[in-house]
Amino acid sequence: MARYVAGRLAGVVLILFLVCLFTFIIFFTLSPDPAVMICGKTCTPERIDQIRDVLGLNQPLVTQFLGFLTGIFAGRDYGSGANLIHCSAPCLGYSFQTNQSVWDMVVERLPVSATVAIGAAVLWLLVGILAGLLSAVKEGTWWDRTAMGLALGGSSVPNYVLALALQYVLVVQLQVLPFPQAVAFGDDPVLWFQSYLMPWIVLATGYACLYARLTRANVIDTLAENFMRTARSKGLSPALTMRRHALRPALTPIATIFGMDFAALLGGALITETVFGLNGVGKMAADSIAKNDQPVIMAVTLLAAFFVVVGNVVVDLVYTRLDPRVRITTP
Amino acid sequence: MSELLEVEDLTVTFRTTRGPVDVVKGVSFTVAGDETVGIVGESGSGKSMTSLAIMGLLPKGARTAGSIRLNGAELLGRPDRELRRLRGDQLSMIFQDPLSSLNPYYTVGLQIEEMYRAHRGGTRKAARQVAIAALGQVGLPEPERRVDHYPHQFSGGQRQRVMIAMALVCEPALLIADEPTTALDVTVQAQILRLLADLRRQSGTGMVFITHDLAVISSIATRVLVMRRGEQVEYGTAEQVFAEPRHDYTRMLLESIPRIDDEVEEMTA
Amino acid sequence: MTVAAHPQQVAGTPAAPPQTTGRRVRDALLRDRAAVLSTAYLALIVLMAIGAPLISAITGHGPNEFDTAAVNTDLGGVPHGALGGISAEHLLGVEPQNGRDILARIAYGARVSLLIAAAATALTTLLGVVLGMLAGFYQGWVDQVICRVMDFLMAFPALIFMIAILSSLPQGNRSVLLVVVISVFGWPYLARVVRGQTLTLVNREFVEAARASGASTEQLVFKEILPNLRSSLIVMTTLAVPGYVGTEAGLSFLGVGVAPPTPSWGQMISSSVGWYAVDPMYFAIPGTFLFLTVLSLTVLGDRLRAAFDAGEAS
Repeated sequence: MARYVAGRLAGVVLILFLVCLFTFIIFFTLSPDPAVMICGKTCTPERIDQIRDVLGLNQPLVTQFLGFLTGIFAGRDYGSGANLIHCSAPCLGYSFQTNQSVWDMVVERLPVSATVAIGAAVLWLLVGILAGLLSAVKEGTWWDRTAMGLALGGSSVPNYVLALALQYVLVVQLQVLPFPQAVAFGDDPVLWFQSYLMPWIVLATGYACLYARLTRANVIDTLAENFMRTARSKGLSPALTMRRHALRPALTPIATIFGMDFAALLGGALITETVFGLNGVGKMAADSIAKNDQPVIMAVTLLAAFFVVVGNVVVDLVYTRLDPRVRITTP
Repeated sequence: MSELLEVEDLTVTFRTTRGPVDVVKGVSFTVAGDETVGIVGESGSGKSMTSLAIMGLLPKGARTAGSIRLNGAELLGRPDRELRRLRGDQLSMIFQDPLSSLNPYYTVGLQIEEMYRAHRGGTRKAARQVAIAALGQVGLPEPERRVDHYPHQFSGGQRQRVMIAMALVCEPALLIADEPTTALDVTVQAQILRLLADLRRQSGTGMVFITHDLAVISSIATRVLVMRRGEQVEYGTAEQVFAEPRHDYTRMLLESIPRIDDEVEEMTA
Repeated sequence: MTVAAHPQQVAGTPAAPPQTTGRRVRDALLRDRAAVLSTAYLALIVLMAIGAPLISAITGHGPNEFDTAAVNTDLGGVPHGALGGISAEHLLGVEPQNGRDILARIAYGARVSLLIAAAATALTTLLGVVLGMLAGFYQGWVDQVICRVMDFLMAFPALIFMIAILSSLPQGNRSVLLVVVISVFGWPYLARVVRGQTLTLVNREFVEAARASGASTEQLVFKEILPNLRSSLIVMTTLAVPGYVGTEAGLSFLGVGVAPPTPSWGQMISSSVGWYAVDPMYFAIPGTFLFLTVLSLTVLGDRLRAAFDAGEAS
């Protein structure tokens, strides 16, 4: 078991290193002049010189890449003398547009992204799995056909269209919700909830539709298994038969998919955060794209890759707990 | 000899897109409290549907006519809630493929315990002791350790032993075994057959043994019912059916038995 | 979509003749109301895209022509009239502020969106089939290398990475870049399936028989293996197209897709964000077109898969 985990972690490190390398090469070699790009649209010749000096753009590429890697583990200094900027330990780069360490910017915004992701996840798991279960149990009925039709439709709505439509109907027309605002939970719990409600719904809709269809298919497959017939032949109550014998086998694969989806969301829900003006990692990425703030874009890419890759490992480890057949034991 | 199970003129009908289809047509037989009745037939002969009808586990949309009585009480038409109390307690069933018939997500112990507790109640601890005893009774070595293992950790023959232990844990009046040895190796088949015969004798349980293999039946059953395309073509004591089959189909089945008769006789001897 | 019959079916190929499969699937789809409606809608969109210059000629509005008479400059550029300025003059209304005709922009936008999705599908399928078959056919180290690359690409946060790449690359030809980027991240999903099926096919008797009778690698691949992958390829690509349409729109929405003034549906929705409260039709119209396109493609893919599955079951 320990060897397995060690092997997987080595794989994680390798993939993250490759992601680093790729993003680095793309940003620092393919783009026309990194200094101009980093400097952004409001830029003076002096500042470009300063950035060039600070980033050591005259050094060979390998040295630059090593500098970037060192920054992540040990922190680094940019420039010298009066221009000296220190970027401490997990240094993902330095934004010359905001004059801030990218790491600090991420840490500041991660709670917002996490709130969006967690709330949406709770919503889509509840709605998606319940609807899928009901459809599976009532297979072929009016409810099943309606729910699955809606699920097909719901998964086809681009979330920014849904976001605008919801905002128009609920905020502008019906005025049942206020405009989403950046408010801390402690300051005004009601407004906090109202502000996050629409982002949660928008983000959850697509996933809920997908999960409803997945759940339905898995439950129907499981109900046809031989062990379900055995469970019925044992005289167990229908509730126990369903809960114990059908749900666990049917929902275990969904837990895997959920882990991956959730991990991907922690890296920021780009579109949803942007449309609702929530100051999370996703919006930061979108803003940085608009301003061409490359160090930030690069850091967000790395962060997202980190969540996905680590999420992958966590899911595999959890799976060995959920499905006894892949458990690593000695008989 | 009082009759434990009486099946009279049983008909099972499925509604299909091409109209109703009778998969079992007017089958009648009885099982005494202390004997084994064999039902023989090819796949699609209706033998499995007959057993599912007795268990009350026919697929949705199946219709039944006739009568199935257990100790004189009618089973057909009874609400599922009442049948459920009988299932596992009075009536028990063993299926063909033990791997897919056991839930891969739970230990064999839990799968035996839940059945015992559904009918007898009691604590988990007590049920666990019952499960360990049941596993020991079917000849599994180290039952205290094996009780916490998952189905995939057993061999095919061991899994069928687990199924048998589970089916007998509530000491049912009638055990239905639906091709219990078909998925197993020949040597393991013989062991399982002997185990079933021994346990049945010890507990005094009536048994319905379903198979497509007349050779197997000859070693275990006192009475034999031969089915073909949903119809009953032959019914009588094992001696009768084997010595002087009345129907051409039975004769054909007897002739197709490979020459392992001697082996089977050795085994029963 | 009709399935072309393969004329050079080698004797001994077990699958039913392709003509009957194709006809059976087509009949199944024709009986399905949702599939027929989806196809009709998609045909309409394709016609609209092809006939975009014609639409402009008839209505007299180009996609980039300003019509300041259609908007109320005193109110900040809100279109005159109800429903975003829908009138006989502008059938689907106008954009606020500059008064560009939405119908013309939708039609020209359809060209961009469909072309990118179609090109991305073609490139993804090509990459997926070639690399998947290489891995499944040669196995050994070729398989190892391709599988590692697939694992690596699938572990990537594709959307963010696409955005990162697109935003760092020079403006250039954005449509081509979009196609390349979408395909680079899209092919592993198809290749994985192709590889698995090739692996099983390679060991089947009819392929071995053909190999024993001296068939060249080329003949094996094109006459024995490829025809047997046909149905899963059709289903997988059909189900992938709506994803590409959505991705293109999403990237354009985020401002890294098609560069203005070239219209694209995602970009139209993006520019409507600031106006949704006063002019909801501005996002509702391109939003509806986009939604229906994705939905139709999804429904069609879904039904196609069901039709092929039903064929395999029987």
